[in-house]
Amino acid sequence: MSSNDDASVIRTDGLTKRYGSDAAVENLSFTVDTGEIYGFLGPNGAGKSTTINMLMDYARPTEGEISILGMDPREDVVDVHQRVGILPDGFSVYENRTGRDHLRLVIDTKAADDDPEALLERVGLADAVDDDAGSYSRGMRQRLALAMALVGEPELLILDEPFSGLDPHGVRTIRDVAHAENDRGATVFFSSHVLGQVELVCDRIGILHEGRLVAEGTLEELRASAPVTTEFELAVDGNLEQARRAVRNVEGVVDISVSSASDGTTVGDGATGGGPETGAAAGGAGAGAEADTMAGGTIVTHLESIDRREAVVEALERTDMTIRRTTVEEPSIESIFVAHTGGSPAGGEHR
Amino acid sequence: MRWFPLARQECKALVSSKGVWLLALVLPLWTYRPAYRTWNELGPDMTIGFVQHSAAFVLPLAAIALGYRAIVGDRSSGSLRFVLGLPLTRRDVLLGKLVGRTVGIAIPVGIALAVVTVVGVVRFGLFSPLRYLAVLVVTFAYLAVLVSIVVSVSALAGRAATAAATLFVGLLVVFETLWQLLAPMLYSRLTGTPVNLYDPPADGRLFLIDRLAPSRAYNTVTNWLLEAGNSAGFHNSVISDLEPNVSSNVLVVDNTFEPGAVPLYLHEAGGLVILAAWGLVPLSIAYYRFDRGDLA
Repeated sequence: MSSNDDASVIRTDGLTKRYGSDAAVENLSFTVDTGEIYGFLGPNGAGKSTTINMLMDYARPTEGEISILGMDPREDVVDVHQRVGILPDGFSVYENRTGRDHLRLVIDTKAADDDPEALLERVGLADAVDDDAGSYSRGMRQRLALAMALVGEPELLILDEPFSGLDPHGVRTIRDVAHAENDRGATVFFSSHVLGQVELVCDRIGILHEGRLVAEGTLEELRASAPVTTEFELAVDGNLEQARRAVRNVEGVVDISVSSASDGTTVGDGATGGGPETGAAAGGAGAGAEADTMAGGTIVTHLESIDRREAVVEALERTDMTIRRTTVEEPSIESIFVAHTGGSPAGGEHR
Repeated sequence: MRWFPLARQECKALVSSKGVWLLALVLPLWTYRPAYRTWNELGPDMTIGFVQHSAAFVLPLAAIALGYRAIVGDRSSGSLRFVLGLPLTRRDVLLGKLVGRTVGIAIPVGIALAVVTVVGVVRFGLFSPLRYLAVLVVTFAYLAVLVSIVVSVSALAGRAATAAATLFVGLLVVFETLWQLLAPMLYSRLTGTPVNLYDPPADGRLFLIDRLAPSRAYNTVTNWLLEAGNSAGFHNSVISDLEPNVSSNVLVVDNTFEPGAVPLYLHEAGGLVILAAWGLVPLSIAYYRFDRGDLA
């Protein structure tokens, strides 16, 4: 049925959607490979839902190509949807139909042999199978929609903003189901503006901003490519001032601050490396710090990339410092996101 | 038949709503209209004539009230995203909605008509069963045509209120209620000939325009089956108009044209063509637009 000669489940090429002169999605090319969990990350209005609408043939592209499972979303809509499960964004249930009714429609249309109760059990809604969906809470509706997406063991699961309106248990359910489906062999594609969830679920992330893909890769790759710093903290014994001088000139060190173990005084210093967060901890020098720095303490550095860690350690080892402990704090996905979009991350779940 | 589960669920949802059963309650009261003149002409077949009364007002109103949200309601609420996510083409979606709603309305209508039929048979005796069956088939076809118009408008409209207003004014008021008055006016406008309905000109175009509305076309066909006369009016009006010394504002071909001088296009079977056009033309336009546009 499929002419899927490569490993891609979704492939778009130059995908563009304009409403009048406004482009909701512009020249978007991306690929989702078989078996991966791919997260589409972006603020509201970035074009995530527009893209998914085009993948599902709810809306037609102005320009560009889409291939899903090697097929055309419009010409092969029946074959594509037979193998795809969708949790749409901004959906609404049929108020006077039960959860079972909703599932039966999907099961019968797909000619699947799923049991409505078993599906609702999986999403934690077994108790409400014969209640009118009109009486469901927002979170229950979201769970029902997820159960509908699972009908027929889809090869591709598309979840559009699956976490919206869910309490922590619901969020957990979505994550668990996404992983379970992925283990079964399904490819999972989802969109979200909830950054933390993307980090927890995805193998690969694409950051969409104003209709364009501004960054794509694994979390590590995104961290490496974003102009944000990694915090590297070392607990050392020895002369802190000497350590500071040794480390500040290491390439890739954005800034450094030291604090002595005895009184917690902090001495900061902007380094030569430059960078967006330069000097964050600088200027905190207290009087008499010089005298106390022999006892050892803590060195906090900000690095352009986590790979510069080794250089810092080597520089310290060339002095007579003893490194007792190191901790690395990689940049949060929020900071990566901000760095790529130049906007503020949307942490909330409400639309 | 991929759309069958969709149609079944549409039908089930409709049958479990209150509106259709209100219809089932109203319809027998609306259609049961025994009259001496009709009895004299039709005998026990008067019961078949009751069925024809359902075409006026009640069925169009029911089709509009129970169907106008079929597509546009799902579209504005967002549940169309579920339906469009199913392995169905957009044609399947339209068909499933149309068939489901039609059957969903046909079930209470069938029950209501059965009640009227039983009462009619008990009071007026057994009618000709074949004729009854033929009228019933045409009535359900007419119902399907109405639902097709309603679903088409629902698929074309941007908002539910637009669909409701368009159908109420356009279908119910203009075509189903006022058409017998509007048709002569329209004819006068087009030809410049004034029309006195009590003494109409023997112009086939006037009579054709008179039967262009869905209910008028339906009446024409069912009058033919009842042998009530060649007219788009209700059979009892036609029957009284055909009595000697009675003149009414109902346009009856047999009263105006000499036998043998009736244009072929005024044959009663033409009503079936008009009904078919009403069933297919709006639906085709709706399909054309629905299949091309963005739906989310």
